[in-house]
Amino acid sequence: MNKVRTRAFSVLFLVILAIVGMGFYVVRFMVFGGEWASAPFNTTVFRNAMLAVGVVTDRNGVVLADITDGRRTFAENGDVRRSTLHAVGDKEGNIGTGALSVFAPELMGYNFITGSYSRSESGRQIALTIDSKLNAAAFRALDGRRGAVIVSNYETGEILCMVSSPTFDPGNPPDDLSSATYEGVFLNRAIQSAYTPGSTFKLVTAGAAIENVNRLWDREFHCTGAMQVGGDTLICPREHGTIGFARGMQVSCNIVFGELALDIGANTMASYTAKYGLSERSSVSGITTAKGNFDKATSNINLAWSGVGQYTNTVCPATMLRFVGAIANEGIAADLHYLKKTGVSSVVPSGTDRLLSRDTAELLGEIIEIQGSDSFPGLNIHAKSGTAQVGGGKEPHAWYVGYITNRNHPYAFVVIVENGGGGAAVAGPIANRVLQEAVN
Amino acid sequence: MEVIRNFIYQIQESLANFDGDLLSYATLLIRFFLPALAIIIIIRCTRSLFQEKSEEEIWGQLRLPNGTILDLNYWENVIGRAKTSDIFADYPTISRNHAALIRDDKANWRLYDVESKTGVVINGKKIESDTGIPVNSGDVIELGGVEMKFTAADNTDEYEQAAYRTRPGRVYKQRTTLIFLTEFQLLLGLQLYISMGDRAGLTLPLSFLALIVLTWTCYFIIRALKRVAFEVETMGFFLTTIGLGIVASSSPNELNRQLMFIVLGVMFYFIMGWFLRDLDRVKRFRKPLAVLGPLMLIATRLFGRRTFGAYRWISIGGLTFQPSEFVKIILVIAGAVTLERMFARRNLFAFIGLMGLCMGLLALMTDFGTAMIFFVAYLVIAYLRSGDFATIFLSFAGAGFAGLVALASRPHIAGRFSTWMHAWEHVNDFGGYQQTRAMAAAASGGMFGVGAGYGWFRRVFAADSDLVFAMVSEELGLLVALTAVVSILIFAIFSVRSAGSARSSFYVIAACATSAILVFQMLLNVLGSMDILPFTGVTFPFVSKGGTSLVASWGMLAFFKAADTRQNASFVVKTPKRPEYSGGGSMVYREPEEPLWGGDEEYE
Repeated sequence: MNKVRTRAFSVLFLVILAIVGMGFYVVRFMVFGGEWASAPFNTTVFRNAMLAVGVVTDRNGVVLADITDGRRTFAENGDVRRSTLHAVGDKEGNIGTGALSVFAPELMGYNFITGSYSRSESGRQIALTIDSKLNAAAFRALDGRRGAVIVSNYETGEILCMVSSPTFDPGNPPDDLSSATYEGVFLNRAIQSAYTPGSTFKLVTAGAAIENVNRLWDREFHCTGAMQVGGDTLICPREHGTIGFARGMQVSCNIVFGELALDIGANTMASYTAKYGLSERSSVSGITTAKGNFDKATSNINLAWSGVGQYTNTVCPATMLRFVGAIANEGIAADLHYLKKTGVSSVVPSGTDRLLSRDTAELLGEIIEIQGSDSFPGLNIHAKSGTAQVGGGKEPHAWYVGYITNRNHPYAFVVIVENGGGGAAVAGPIANRVLQEAVN
Repeated sequence: MEVIRNFIYQIQESLANFDGDLLSYATLLIRFFLPALAIIIIIRCTRSLFQEKSEEEIWGQLRLPNGTILDLNYWENVIGRAKTSDIFADYPTISRNHAALIRDDKANWRLYDVESKTGVVINGKKIESDTGIPVNSGDVIELGGVEMKFTAADNTDEYEQAAYRTRPGRVYKQRTTLIFLTEFQLLLGLQLYISMGDRAGLTLPLSFLALIVLTWTCYFIIRALKRVAFEVETMGFFLTTIGLGIVASSSPNELNRQLMFIVLGVMFYFIMGWFLRDLDRVKRFRKPLAVLGPLMLIATRLFGRRTFGAYRWISIGGLTFQPSEFVKIILVIAGAVTLERMFARRNLFAFIGLMGLCMGLLALMTDFGTAMIFFVAYLVIAYLRSGDFATIFLSFAGAGFAGLVALASRPHIAGRFSTWMHAWEHVNDFGGYQQTRAMAAAASGGMFGVGAGYGWFRRVFAADSDLVFAMVSEELGLLVALTAVVSILIFAIFSVRSAGSARSSFYVIAACATSAILVFQMLLNVLGSMDILPFTGVTFPFVSKGGTSLVASWGMLAFFKAADTRQNASFVVKTPKRPEYSGGGSMVYREPEEPLWGGDEEYE
């Protein structure tokens, strides 16, 4: 019997296996429970795949999504409804970045102890960092053009304004959502798209040049409107003559940055793009942003074009905002988010990431100062425009990215208008209207 | 921290906004009471099973030439020079596993030559046959030239020792535990009565009442049989109660049917217990059962219904049942052996052949889940019999494993494997539909559940059977679901503990194999539905709706009772009759703490 008795302990191996397996499950349950319970088929809190509990407000308490008589309702103001569609979500759960989907665990008051049970079945109220007035202003400034406006507080990472166009009224969705007018309407262009960056990318080339090119500030460049690279021609829209590096940034001279990219080399260019996060994915309140792109060109002409933000480069507006915010914030990027922190977590500072050295950030900031206050009355702005050629006979994408230097209004912004035309001419005024609203 | 803050907020919110909806408050409270009762029940059963005393028994003695007296603590004893021998006789002429001295049900002892080099001689006669020869009290056994005088415990000894040993249930009153269980049953019934409203009708309260009556009836039958332990049954009824609650929520019109199966299960438990009581009877049935098992599988393949790619069910006159559930029990009986048979290799090979046949048939039935369970049961039985993993793997594992791999390549099973750990990428197709719902439901329930009868998961196919863990989690919460899991683990740990004192290795092997089956089946059910293992569609013992599984689970409980030799614990274990005459027994008791009877003149 002793033998059998000893061998019987083998059953304990199975018991231990079971305990390990169950332990693994319980850990997963505690970590992913909120995610699992947010599946639209959890009809304890969802009706017709729509979260049926919880209230969403903006940063000032303006209601953006509510439940009235058991049905989901949205903000009172039509412009607010349209401009916050991509931050709040619609009735059908089509918007991947909508708070009704992304923050479902918070809205149902989910925690792994009480699950999605609530006796009153009303859920919780959550506040976004979005300012509904600012959003409405950005929506009006975009005036129906396709594109995105996104504004953050570069010290805290809070997103104050996030508008994507085209959009629709979630309270009264149009019937023809599948028509060409609404193509890609469910996409939050600020987070889920990546565009050719054009001249805004010169910030990256400049950052790499400051740290890698000898005697950069004394160097002279000669712009004749064109430069021969191998057998091909790099074109600059204007003939800038003989200029230095800083001036080259102010006038956005392609020859200057094409030449610098050739000096820096494809590998270093790629590693700086990655370091600044622009060819990577980042996270906005747990949502993964679209991935940017930077290919190491094998030919010199392509390397030169990639140095001025053309070639195959693409950048997601949100990661661009993060990068620009880092330039403003002494090189440190605060993690972008649009769910307002409450309770204990509001005391804990946002996660941060150093993208540039303090010196580089300062030097970069200086050379993108906007001179004169005609375009941005009353504001001290550091900014870079971009006019990204997209080929195919289409108008270029208009970019305007930058930040307010005054720390009372520590706002960074990115404006992109798809096929909008010249960056400074088209996207600049939109940025101005939103920033004027933001500081007043 | 955030979690606890949220939790407190919810309670505050519930209390602050009193709106007169008393029923919703009842649900709120019952949600907390059910897990609390479940935990109390499990803790009480566990402590009673493991913390109460279980003294060794002495069934006979051997007196060595040097005067040493060795106790025979089991019905089955190996005598040999090996340190692990039950009777350790350290003489150079004695082989490692020399002889086996085995008592049967009727107190008859036999001596077997197991693996001796020098032979076994009794009263001057050498044992020649494999079947051993009878030994009586006073006989002299000679092993390798060493003479030992054998004394069997007589009726008086057995009776006295039974009187001396502690009976379970003194510290943890079984009746108190049962009262907690009844509270659990009442509250669960009440909760369902509230949530189901008009659907509840009269059937719901009546079926819960019937279950309570059955629980207590079973308890009083055990008491009437003069037995005192009820932990294993209490846990069985606890699991069964959860199962009844699940059926009430998922398909209230099948409550009567479920209740019928519960009654059948409890009856089967008594029948199995009665059957296992007499080891000779069990031995006689082993061969016929070994034939019946494969025949039942063949019948399933030939006459069975094919559902979801597998042949599992046979339908007879409107009643469907799943023969493989009973084949599990048959395999346990056919696989477990008494000690004297453990040493002969050919016995093991016969069992391996039987297992191979069953696995082959399950492959034809494409019942992957059951095949896995059989395979694990095989591993445990073979290891307990041979103690040698190498043999097991060489002889069978290769073939069995190849069979499993072949099965796994069948389309409907391969599909399960390909989506395993990727359920959320298959939210709306076969590969992940059920698992994602299961995970969402379980998460939605949190620790305390949304309240029995308030879930949505019950509408998902197989929610109350193959995915029942998720449904329990959703409606009753993770805590109750985990107590169900723990109950099954306690069975297994208890069977390991019983192995130290069980009367026969047959009961040890049977109890361990049964534990392995229950634990592994439970794991496949839980982790399969939660996408941690491939989803194979097996039931959670006792809890899943489904007649055959429930009846078979109850039958398996008898194996644990058969190994439970705590004094007067189990009706499956016989107790000695009151001796016809009083007076000293034949045993020599050493170091008694207090003399149990006068005139201990043989005390040394």
